[in-house]
Amino acid sequence: MISVQLFFISFFGLAAVWFAVVVFRTHSMMRSALALLFSQTALGAMFIGMQAEFLGVLQIMMMATEMSIMAIFMVMFMMDPGGLGKMDMTHQKRLSVIAGLVAFVAVVVVAVFADWGPLASSVPDAAQQIEDLGLELLGRSMLIFETAGLTILTAMIAATAVAVEPIKRNRD
Amino acid sequence: MTPELFPALITGAALFGIGIYGALSQTNLVMLLMGVELILAGAMVNLVAFWHHLHPDTPAGQMFVLIVMTVMAVEMAVGFGVAIARFRAIGSVEMEEAAELKG
Amino acid sequence: MTTALILLLLAVGAYLVAVIEAWTTSGRWRLTAPITAGIALLGRESIVPRKSDRVFFEVAPVLLLISALIAATVLPLTPDLIITDLATGALFINAALVYVLVALLMAGWGPDGAYAMIGGWRFLGQLIAYAMLIVMPVTAVAMRAESLLTTQIVASQADLWNILYQPLGFVLFFVAAMALAFLPPFDLTTANSELAGGVEAEYSGVRLAVFRLGRLVLVITLATTTVVFYLGGWQGPWLPPWAWSAIKILAVTALMLLAGRALPRIREADLLNLCWKLGIPLALLNIFVVGLLILVWP
Repeated sequence: MISVQLFFISFFGLAAVWFAVVVFRTHSMMRSALALLFSQTALGAMFIGMQAEFLGVLQIMMMATEMSIMAIFMVMFMMDPGGLGKMDMTHQKRLSVIAGLVAFVAVVVVAVFADWGPLASSVPDAAQQIEDLGLELLGRSMLIFETAGLTILTAMIAATAVAVEPIKRNRD
Repeated sequence: MTPELFPALITGAALFGIGIYGALSQTNLVMLLMGVELILAGAMVNLVAFWHHLHPDTPAGQMFVLIVMTVMAVEMAVGFGVAIARFRAIGSVEMEEAAELKG
Repeated sequence: MTTALILLLLAVGAYLVAVIEAWTTSGRWRLTAPITAGIALLGRESIVPRKSDRVFFEVAPVLLLISALIAATVLPLTPDLIITDLATGALFINAALVYVLVALLMAGWGPDGAYAMIGGWRFLGQLIAYAMLIVMPVTAVAMRAESLLTTQIVASQADLWNILYQPLGFVLFFVAAMALAFLPPFDLTTANSELAGGVEAEYSGVRLAVFRLGRLVLVITLATTTVVFYLGGWQGPWLPPWAWSAIKILAVTALMLLAGRALPRIREADLLNLCWKLGIPLALLNIFVVGLLILVWP
């Protein structure tokens, strides 16, 4: 009765949520970063299950790189990367838990009770999707794409400029 | 009520809630950025679910997801640049010590 | 059936690559070298560090092997010998191979040892260097094939192989593939003389055997990828397709393993400098030139 697709999407959804909970429950910083990585990978697998193959593969690839870089930043900036000291690193505990729960319930209520319109019948196959996406990127959404590219370039230059060590000039 | 959408939308809602919890409760900048990543990931799952079930013929849905992925990467890059600068100036990236403009 | 055949061919290929690697380091052809090394490794005592992160320590070698195998599922050895012909094949290879980095980070952090950790983080530095150089030549290859299907990429090289059409892309991809497989001269991760073995230092016994096997399968997967993207896959005049595939893959593997013997080990800073200041402009030039050629040549 349950289709294979629905089963896989639910399985990877559960995996994504479980890994996301591990991110904030574990004391070891490295495990936290890698748990976020595997949560995003489960999300990429969900995308592939929902037949958005290009997006799924892209998500898996990009998130592995990004979360690994986050891992090294955690090791650089955090006080107890191994997690053996069991420090408590949270503040505003009640407020944040209540805010999280309210957000979750609100989104679930909207998702369950809204009328989303008629369901579509068939999805184009993956090769056709990639071609359509390419034509859309360089056709109708060309301005969006170029703006995004320029924004990335600006962000790269800005981040490098902020992070470079200031040159000390000798005054003599 | 469209039950086909439920697994993906509820996953998106859960990730959104956990992300908000993380963004509000963590004292370290890096953990806070992880919370923001989870919020954006929840949004992306919702987008792909809507694209798949409601409008699979329009590639603009996938375009939106690409832009959100780009925004995630850019925001992480700038956030870590700021974190490096702050670490050099103060010696830590804790949010508790960032309550004043001075320093 | 196809899956079993391809896994068997990968196993035979890994064995031959191990023989070639033994030849490049010792200079003698010994066909039983992998068997004796394997039995020796399996028979040795498995030493586990005292306060290691057990999850990472156990998962890392297995993840290395699995990521290389998953990357090999979209590569065609003959026109109908491919496990799954994904529509995004060329991108999927890169996605699977990124998990080599995750595996090495786990292997670096898990054992709770200084040398392993430095080796692991050095590989992250290498990733920043080679990641763009892997994807940009693949973009140029996909431009010529007008598809990301690996079978289509091989079919598009029917009249002229990509190594002659895009030689710059081939050189960049080859160098980046050697850096991905942490072969010498990019092997600061497992440097024998400098880091006491680096990431491999804390592994012994069965886990080291799986680690080395994973690295061998990774080298074969990268050689197959180079052959599919640049050397025309199974195409050739007289021999059957599978023979051409085998010859080309073994030749590329031998070239990868030999190329490191002549060059000294490259420092991370020099590698990053070279790849970002020289490699990426060259890759962009490659994409530009290939685009012009595609538009102009009928």
